[in-house]
Amino acid sequence: MIKKLKVADINIDIDLKYDKTIRQSEAYEADFEKCNVSIKIPDDSFEELKAETPYLSAEDVEYIYTGSAFYEALLHFNGFMLHSSGVVVDNYAYLFSADPGTGKSTHTDLWVRFFGSDRAKIINDDKPAIRMLDDKIYVYGTPWSGKTDQNLNMRVPLGAIVFLERSEHNHIERIEPKEAIPLILQQTIRPREQEVMIKLLDMLDKVLSNIKLYRLGCNISEEAVRVSYNGINMEGKTL
Amino acid sequence: MKIKEGYLLRQVAGSNIVVPVGEGSMDFSGVITLNEVGAFIWQILEKGADKQEILDKMLAEYDVSRETAEKDIDEYIEKLRGAELIAD
Repeated sequence: MIKKLKVADINIDIDLKYDKTIRQSEAYEADFEKCNVSIKIPDDSFEELKAETPYLSAEDVEYIYTGSAFYEALLHFNGFMLHSSGVVVDNYAYLFSADPGTGKSTHTDLWVRFFGSDRAKIINDDKPAIRMLDDKIYVYGTPWSGKTDQNLNMRVPLGAIVFLERSEHNHIERIEPKEAIPLILQQTIRPREQEVMIKLLDMLDKVLSNIKLYRLGCNISEEAVRVSYNGINMEGKTL
Repeated sequence: MKIKEGYLLRQVAGSNIVVPVGEGSMDFSGVITLNEVGAFIWQILEKGADKQEILDKMLAEYDVSRETAEKDIDEYIEKLRGAELIAD
């Protein structure tokens, strides 16, 4: 069935068959006349994708490939996906980015426990959307949040991007944009077409020039939250 | 000499970076960072040039001796060849 969704302020007509994506999309259903993007996996491509990934169920294939289609489209709307777990505290989103299995969700989950679920919320546990509008940089939740259903249909300014590594001791350092370029390119969809790659790189130019960037080494503890929060918000608040 | 098809040079937050696009992006997913002179020579090589042409342009742009410029260009071209970024 065709659903109408508004994701990251983009109007989408999307053809969905399976429960998972339909369920994840519920909070994004909207009414509009004109769609900006239409997402449909043609039946024959769907069969091909299923054959290529026999370890995935049909509903996972739909979930993953409609997500990819959305994030590819996002590049044409001044936005891109960052593979990260995003937590919102006091109306700023902090994105913790790392390879799968490093512990980014574990870390943001610690933030929610530490600050309480009234003050800290997961905007998207795996693939938040970053979008530039009127010279401001925002983070949006989307229906595609990886293995968990943790995502919220909301928009908040981007506070910081933190590249997370496992470490016995907790430490955080500010990093330069040039260090962040390869890290960010590893954690997003890299377009093959030259014109789209130019769009992505020009967006990265804006984000990396205007947003605070950190490298965090952390273990699983309350201290890890204090170290990362204080490191990001050094001017002012301490916990 | 010419830079192979399928590479894009762009300035991002003050760094000159090269990323693969098109077919090349399937085999190589890294990022190359170039310094200012590296980016200058890369741009000349995108259009195709011989060593003499690069040397002339470099001497016109930078306050550097012919000897040093020549050595730098040789080393740089060697690196680009090593990374299979140049088509003859």
